[in-house]
Amino acid sequence: MTTNTKTATRTRIARVSSTPQASTTPSRRKKITLWASAGLGILVVWQVGFTLFAPAYIATPIGAILAIPTVFADPIFFPDVASTLGAVFEGLLIAIVAGTIIGLAMGRLPDVNRVLGMYVGAFYAIPLIAIVPLFTVWFGYTPQARLAMIVLEAVLPIIYNVAEGSRIVSATYLDVTRIHRVAWWRVWTGVVLPNALPYVLAGLDLAIGRALIGAVVAEFVTAIDGLGTYILFNVHSFHQNEAVIALIVVVIFALVIRALINLAVRRGLPWYQPVKEA
Amino acid sequence: MPTVTEVEPMIHVDHLGKQYGERTVFSDISFDVNPGEIVSIVGPSGCGKTTLLRCVVGLMKPSHGTVLVSGTPVVDPPEGVAMVFQHFGLFPWKTIAANVAYGLTAKGVSMKDAAPRVHELIKLVGLEGFEKSYPYQLSGGMQQRAGLARALAVEPGVLVMDEPFAALDAQTRDILQLELLRIWGTRSAAMMFVTHSIDEAVLMGDRIVILRGRPSSIFDIVDVGIPHPRGRETVDTDRFRTVRDYVWRAVMHDEADDTPLPTDADAVRIEPQSHRNMNGHDHG
Repeated sequence: MTTNTKTATRTRIARVSSTPQASTTPSRRKKITLWASAGLGILVVWQVGFTLFAPAYIATPIGAILAIPTVFADPIFFPDVASTLGAVFEGLLIAIVAGTIIGLAMGRLPDVNRVLGMYVGAFYAIPLIAIVPLFTVWFGYTPQARLAMIVLEAVLPIIYNVAEGSRIVSATYLDVTRIHRVAWWRVWTGVVLPNALPYVLAGLDLAIGRALIGAVVAEFVTAIDGLGTYILFNVHSFHQNEAVIALIVVVIFALVIRALINLAVRRGLPWYQPVKEA
Repeated sequence: MPTVTEVEPMIHVDHLGKQYGERTVFSDISFDVNPGEIVSIVGPSGCGKTTLLRCVVGLMKPSHGTVLVSGTPVVDPPEGVAMVFQHFGLFPWKTIAANVAYGLTAKGVSMKDAAPRVHELIKLVGLEGFEKSYPYQLSGGMQQRAGLARALAVEPGVLVMDEPFAALDAQTRDILQLELLRIWGTRSAAMMFVTHSIDEAVLMGDRIVILRGRPSSIFDIVDVGIPHPRGRETVDTDRFRTVRDYVWRAVMHDEADDTPLPTDADAVRIEPQSHRNMNGHDHG
């Protein structure tokens, strides 16, 4: 009996893991074709339309490609990239740690939620760009103002999602911990947090985009070295094609971070994938 | 029966009652579970079986009465009590081995130190080769095997099961009932087994507590009187049928129905002294 069950389950596992690949290959090819042709279409419309109707200094796809050597040869470009992306990375790390702790406390302790919930909601609702001038007063025209902006932007969706994810722990899981007389902090780290992980990742997804917004906006206002300042400076000096390249670097950075997170999830959390597919 | 009264019960339920606001779920419930004994709890749907179980293990506060486990009043879940859940309650982010070890690792025992016992239990429940699998990769029956192994890992003196096989298909349920009895033979804890299946209650139980009425209370406690080891053939014995028919009628009996149950009650008594006399309890 036992041998039969084992064989049956092994076959089932094999089938579960092989089916998606087999069935998605044709549809994925179709998806990529559609995606690529849509992108190409937009570029063609942009190129043709702007060449015909816009002044010469307006950015076009071909102009941007031709600007790549100039941008990469610019001695301030890579330090600017490193400055902005370094700050975004640092800010995201701070936001993940702080957001997870605050979110956990809000999700599990009704009193904390009553105290903080309203403020998190309020901060989430207001356009945080409005806060940058205040930050420049508090922190000066410094990288610290930018970092504060990045953290504030990124921490809110993480708090929101972690709080929600840790609120909805299955009652059975909590019963299991109570029956085994598990210490509260082990319940938080060992059950509530892993249970909230899908929510943490969803929050992180939002946080990456918001962190980049925070960084660029802070640079616009404070004019400290970075990609935002690079973009602003080039746009103001009729070098729009160069600005577009800097913009693309920001987009690629966001995509790479998201891809890295996806990879880490697939490698490190094998149990999470089927939950997502279901 | 002096020998029975001398045994100190593992679980002593004394006039237990539970109310939610105005609504009384059950009241005046008293029974004992002795070491090495399986007591099944049956009753119509919604009679508070699970609530009773949760009060007994300290997951819920009763409104009246007390529960003693190993002679100590239960306030929070006590040491030495393990539970098997209807929906398994395995953590999806842990492997089967880590789930089985949970009761130990959650107390600070390292996975390495827990390994020998985990291995032994995984073997006992027939999950060898699945140590590194995740719950989602296993069928429901296998997940519940893991749930049972996790409960046994803490070497409980009291094991409570809340409709453990209700979420499984009929064949898997049949297999696991007998598997549980086999595994039970290797242990000597007191077990409370909540089920809505009357056949299951008779097959598993040494005694059956029948809950009835609204609010529910104990209608009767039946001695099953079928010796261990039990197997598939147990359900074909006359004794099994007699007890099952009696319990079935007791549970299904409508208040309006005037079928005289006392006549049936005599049929299940093994000898003049019933459990009530043995334990000195007096139920309505």
